Amino acid sequence: MLSSVQNPRFLLHHCRRSNPLHHHHHHHRYPKSTHTTALPHPISASLPTSQIQTIQKSILSREKTTRQFAEEFLTRLRLTEPHVKSFLHISETVLNEADEIDRKIDRNEDVGPLAGVLVAVKDNICTADMPSTAGSKLLENYRPPFDATAVKKLKESGAIIVGKTNLDEFGMGSTTEGSAYQVTANPWNLESVPGGSSGGSAAAVAARQCVVSLGSDTGGSVRQPASFCGVVGLKPTYGRVSRYGLVAYASSLDVIGCFGSSVADAGILLQSICGHDKLDATSSTREVNDYTSQFVSKDYFESQPLKGLRVGVISETLGDGVDQEVVSSVRGAISHLEELGCTVTEVSLPSFSLGLPAYYVLASSESSSNLSRYDGVRYGNQTVSDELSSLYGDSRANGFGPEVKRRILMGTYALSAGYYDAYYKRAQQVRTVVQKSFKEALGLHDILISPAAPSAAYKIGEKKNDPLAMYAGDIMTVNVNLAGLPALVLPCGFAKDSLPVGFQMIGATFDEEKLLRVGHIFEQTLQGYNFIPPLIADKI
Amino acid sequence: MGSRALLVLSPAFKSDHVLLNHFTKYGFRHRTFRQTERTRRVGVREYAVHSSLERPDVACLAETARISLTPQEAEEFAPKIQQVVDWFGQLQVVDLQSVEPAIRPDTEAGSFREDNPETFDNREAIIAAIPSYEEPYIKVPKVLNKD
Repeated sequence: MLSSVQNPRFLLHHCRRSNPLHHHHHHHRYPKSTHTTALPHPISASLPTSQIQTIQKSILSREKTTRQFAEEFLTRLRLTEPHVKSFLHISETVLNEADEIDRKIDRNEDVGPLAGVLVAVKDNICTADMPSTAGSKLLENYRPPFDATAVKKLKESGAIIVGKTNLDEFGMGSTTEGSAYQVTANPWNLESVPGGSSGGSAAAVAARQCVVSLGSDTGGSVRQPASFCGVVGLKPTYGRVSRYGLVAYASSLDVIGCFGSSVADAGILLQSICGHDKLDATSSTREVNDYTSQFVSKDYFESQPLKGLRVGVISETLGDGVDQEVVSSVRGAISHLEELGCTVTEVSLPSFSLGLPAYYVLASSESSSNLSRYDGVRYGNQTVSDELSSLYGDSRANGFGPEVKRRILMGTYALSAGYYDAYYKRAQQVRTVVQKSFKEALGLHDILISPAAPSAAYKIGEKKNDPLAMYAGDIMTVNVNLAGLPALVLPCGFAKDSLPVGFQMIGATFDEEKLLRVGHIFEQTLQGYNFIPPLIADKI
Repeated sequence: MGSRALLVLSPAFKSDHVLLNHFTKYGFRHRTFRQTERTRRVGVREYAVHSSLERPDVACLAETARISLTPQEAEEFAPKIQQVVDWFGQLQVVDLQSVEPAIRPDTEAGSFREDNPETFDNREAIIAAIPSYEEPYIKVPKVLNKD
């Protein structure tokens, strides 16, 4: 947060506002492996403000220069990066671009709604002037010949792209340990995972190394790391944002999503990248609404600002198998929504748990097709051979990591003659069932609620050798991709070891506006929580 | 159609609800209660094995997928892949009769652009990325016909 925190530091107790139903007091302890001082951090200055709005206002009024903001972020990035390791590549032209924006402002030229805003981009989104590896050794040093449409739009909005972030290879994974390059640590606890596959993008925003970031979400890869890292994660409707330039994993499921430290920032970022693109045949021609003018100060809120909003809690998501701390944090969020005037009821989606194997069949099948282009011939690392099919086989064997190989093999199996009907076709049928059950539920409710993940962040290495245990953690998120719906994750509490917990709000197709409005009001009225990681509390 | 599908599914999903109930932090544990399924114990996990389909032949799949797996990798991957494929078996015990398969989310069909060729403006970068290039050819080794 850029609002200067100069008040004396108070002792920290994360207590819920007195509420007879909740007895938990979360004690905020510092992780042992950081070098931070033992200073407690304030809870009063904890309301997330829109950093984008703050920066824009400052630079346009010349209160501060773009360069000054850029330098602050770069300093923090340099200090935290040896511990967090969010980035695979950092731009060398950030300060030059900042200076150019300042020059334009001096000349009274138009600078764009994201001018001065440092944005990090997940490394599976193509940037022509920086490597785009998708976290794989196969694409080491690959320079795409074009920018992804989302990147092009960011640049047109005046954003400064600060670098490319770490991810699970080709988007396959839920911890970012699947990267061929490095492991990213959770800024809240450096021994824990940031989540995945967009772990680098989530960690970079959590550690305030950048203002906002882009990720991708095929089965939860924006929403789960947002929950693990205590930041806001937004998955748009399938087709809302162009996929041109997003390295394809599963084409019927992939979307580009947004991270921010506030709902407003995630929403403003989304506004700048969405819209129809003729280069993506699956992109929607539906008009884009104005998402951003509803991010007003809470001074303007009515007393029960969400009165009349019908909220449905998915009953299958708060039962056995979900950590108690997650359940109580989400129930806390539900109470808060009720205080704001929502009508909350439970809704059952019986097909919920079947979505998980259906998702993995579809995703691995589609990925086996999408990754067949990596043959070492036209781009990427080539393993030399004197015969063509071993050139293919060896380049792929040397370039892909084990999880990617396994998923390609599983997908190949599910699509082969004799198995197609048993697996792939049935998974497609389950997709229909999931779509219909959501449609029905969203006919009776404005939004649906669930946790974003069954637990908070676990330790690095804990699930690395157990693929099924890792897949199981995606239960809360995959159905949303099967149905193509938009969803917003925002932090609502803490689990033990001071790891943040987020909850998920799911909306009807193209209803991002409602999600953002509800999320903004929720966030701006939530008292008693500070979602700034201790690692950087004294660096803001 | 939707609500009918849900009704048809509810007896099947009763056991799926039990599935979710058997989540633990340490892994995915489930059992189905159908008497026609054989169950096989693998360590602490129990999976229903669908008996009519052959197990995945990892070496054969690797050849189809054009990935040169080492024998060690094939050995290491086989049980993990088997585990996941067994887990996929849940899809077979569900009644999905007369449910249409959905190939993508129902958020709107996309749109096609005009089928007009355009010259790409950065051929140099495409060529620069080619590992083995000899103007104007992309070089590859010979193709050996295998029997």
